[in-house]
Formats: sequence, C-alpha cells, structure tokens
Amino acid sequence: MNTALVERYITSTIRSLPQHIQDDVRAELTTSITDAIDARTEQGEDPETAERAVLTELGDPAVLAAEYVDRPLHLIGPRYFLTWWRLLKLLLTIVPAVAFAGVALAQLIAQEPIGAVIGESIAAGISAVVHVFFWVTLVFAILERSGADAGARWDVDQLPEPQSTGVGRVDAIASVIFGILAVAVILWDQLRGFVRIDGESLPILHPQLWPWWLLGLITLIVAEVALAIVASARKRWTTGSAVINTGLAVVFLSWALMLLGRGRLLNPDFLDAVFLDTGVGPDTMRILGIVLAFGIVGVSLWDIIDGWLKVRRGARR
Amino acid sequence: MSESFDTHLQELRRGTIVLACLQLLRTPGYGYGLLEELQHHGFATDANTLYPLLRRLEKQGFLTSEWHTEEPRPRKFYSTSADGVRLAETLTAEWTALTSAITSLSDDTPTA
Repeated sequence: MNTALVERYITSTIRSLPQHIQDDVRAELTTSITDAIDARTEQGEDPETAERAVLTELGDPAVLAAEYVDRPLHLIGPRYFLTWWRLLKLLLTIVPAVAFAGVALAQLIAQEPIGAVIGESIAAGISAVVHVFFWVTLVFAILERSGADAGARWDVDQLPEPQSTGVGRVDAIASVIFGILAVAVILWDQLRGFVRIDGESLPILHPQLWPWWLLGLITLIVAEVALAIVASARKRWTTGSAVINTGLAVVFLSWALMLLGRGRLLNPDFLDAVFLDTGVGPDTMRILGIVLAFGIVGVSLWDIIDGWLKVRRGARR
Repeated sequence: MSESFDTHLQELRRGTIVLACLQLLRTPGYGYGLLEELQHHGFATDANTLYPLLRRLEKQGFLTSEWHTEEPRPRKFYSTSADGVRLAETLTAEWTALTSAITSLSDDTPTA
C-alpha cells in the first residue's frame, strides 16, 4: 500500500489546524482512513485503487480542515454582507469623486499641463475606488473571522421615507423665486451696480456681456424655471425633462467656462478695485479663478445628476 | 433525480445525522465503525462530514472521547454524555412532533 499518499493527505489536512489538536486529529484520521481502505480491500479491491478511492471520497484536505475548526469558507458571509455592501456603496459614491476633484484642483493650482491634470485626477479617482474596495472588504473579512458584532441591526424605523420626487408645488415656487431673483441681480448689476467706488458704479460681471451674453443667460434661467413649472404641472419628471435639463446645464457650463477662460466673465475694473488694489496678488487671483471654475462645474454637474435622480424617484412610485 | 431535488433532500437530512450519532453512541463507538453503522441504519453520511461533526459535538460537550490503545490499531472511542442524552431526547421529541405534523398535512379527513 502506498501509505505516502495517506501521509501526504493527513499532513495537508492538519497543517492549518491549531497546534494542540494536530496530533489527535492525525492519529484519529490515520485510523479512520486505514479502516476504510481495509474495508475496501477485504471486498477484493486492489489496495492502491482502494486508497485513492477513500482519499477522493474525503475530498479536498483544506475543506476538511475548515470543517474541523468551523472555519468559514467565504470572505464575507450573510451576517455581514449587507452591511458591507451598504457601506461600500456609500463610500464609493463619495470618496472617488472627492479624490478626483481634490487632485484636479491641486494640480490646476500648481499649474501642471492639462494632460497631467486629467491623467493624475483620473488615476487618483481609480486608486480611490481600489482603496475603498480593498480596505472595506479587509475590515469585514476580519470581522467575519473574529466574530465581532458590526452593530448594524435592521429595524422598522430604517424603512426609507417616501422621498419627495422634487416635483411638488413648493419646488416650482422655489424655482420661480430663485429665477426672478437671479434675473433681478443680473439686471441690477448691469444697470445700477452693487459696488460703488468713488461715486462710480462698477458692475461685477464684464460690461461687454451686455446685452447679448446676459440676455442669453437670462433665457437659460427662464428655460430652467419653465422646466420646473412644467414638471410640477405634470406631477413628475420625465426622461425628456432630464435631457433638456442636462442640455441647459451643459450650455450654462460652456457659457461660464468659456467667458471665465477668456477673462471676460468678470469686470476687470471691478477686480482691480476690489482685489488687486487691496494687495491681493495675481497668483491668488488665478487660484480664486480655478476655485470659481470648480464651483461652476460642481453646481452644473449636481444640477444634471439631480434631474436624473428625480426621473428615477418618479419611476419608482 | 434532478439537482434541485438533491439540495432539498440534503436540507431535510441535515441535523438527522446529529440525532443518529447521539443515539448510536449511547454505546461507545469509533469513527469508521460509526460510519458503517449509520449507513447500515439507512443514514447516507459522508466521512468528511461525520469526522469533523464528532469533534464538534465533543467540543460542545455532547460527546466524550477516550483513546483505546490496547488494540493493534489505536482508536478514539466516542460516547454520548449526559448532556448529549438530553439533547437526543429533545431532538427525538421534536422529530416525533414533526412527523405527526407532516402526517396531518396529508390527512384526507381534516380534524376541525
């Protein structure tokens, strides 16, 4: 009989068992396997075939060892899976976006070439995804094995509240008021001026924007308000509304970024009077410009996402 | 038989091995001998399920064990402890209750 095979099987089984039971399991398993082989050879089976058959029946030694010490054969079991999944979804919606935006902002301020800015930001976003995945999973795999309590138990109060679909009358009214205010601010800024220096009024926005560029902006605002009113009348956001909303946001984004990039968004006289004359250096101005651009991009992106979220919430009703 | 049948049968059989072991080991027995006895009584059991199970039941205090070294082949004999006997009685009572519950499902004359 080729006992080397049995020996190898037992050794690989007990290898991962706690020290103090290894010898006991080895002795018991040796007897059990030999008993089983004997039973087969007594039936006239060839010893080598009998041995192979018995070991095959016992199966993978790693599985057997796990059975002996009740070790889980999964990374994260049913007890922690949902907690893991909820936390992962939450972190994946926040962390990579923050990493991406943070690195992009830093690189822009450091005046890196645009290729490097895009490359580095995407790399940061991707590595944030990988990190979130790895660390969250590692923590839960350890929890699973240490049997600790994640402290997350479900109770009835966690049922999601009926979400506002963002198409109530209140939303439409808010949208109208905001639109009127925005238009009023733009007109007041151009025609009267908020800032008065030496008795002279200085518009904040670039004076050359008047009238056509600003009328364009006002048209965008009116369109956005109209969209809110239509949605409120229909009592739901349709895919069409979200597409139009996305289009409006993109137009606004290109409007603002193009003017900002060419230095034609804000009134240079106003900037001189308020910042440069008070000792704010051009470097700081550049950084403020980048931060302003980020703000514009952020608000527009949120507007687009919000539109699609409203469609989805409406569809779930 | 189809694979989905197999999983359901396994689900139903799970746990009966524990009861069978506790009952059989009222007279001491060892690994392979017990395996044959179970098969003889009609409990289809795999060796790789039974051996770790015996150890777990021992750890939980339902079985006690003892090495018999006087034989040519040293064997670890298990026997049901007092706790094990109580567990066996509880499980048997549950099994009987389930049997009558199952029987009542197919009773043609419903008892009001």
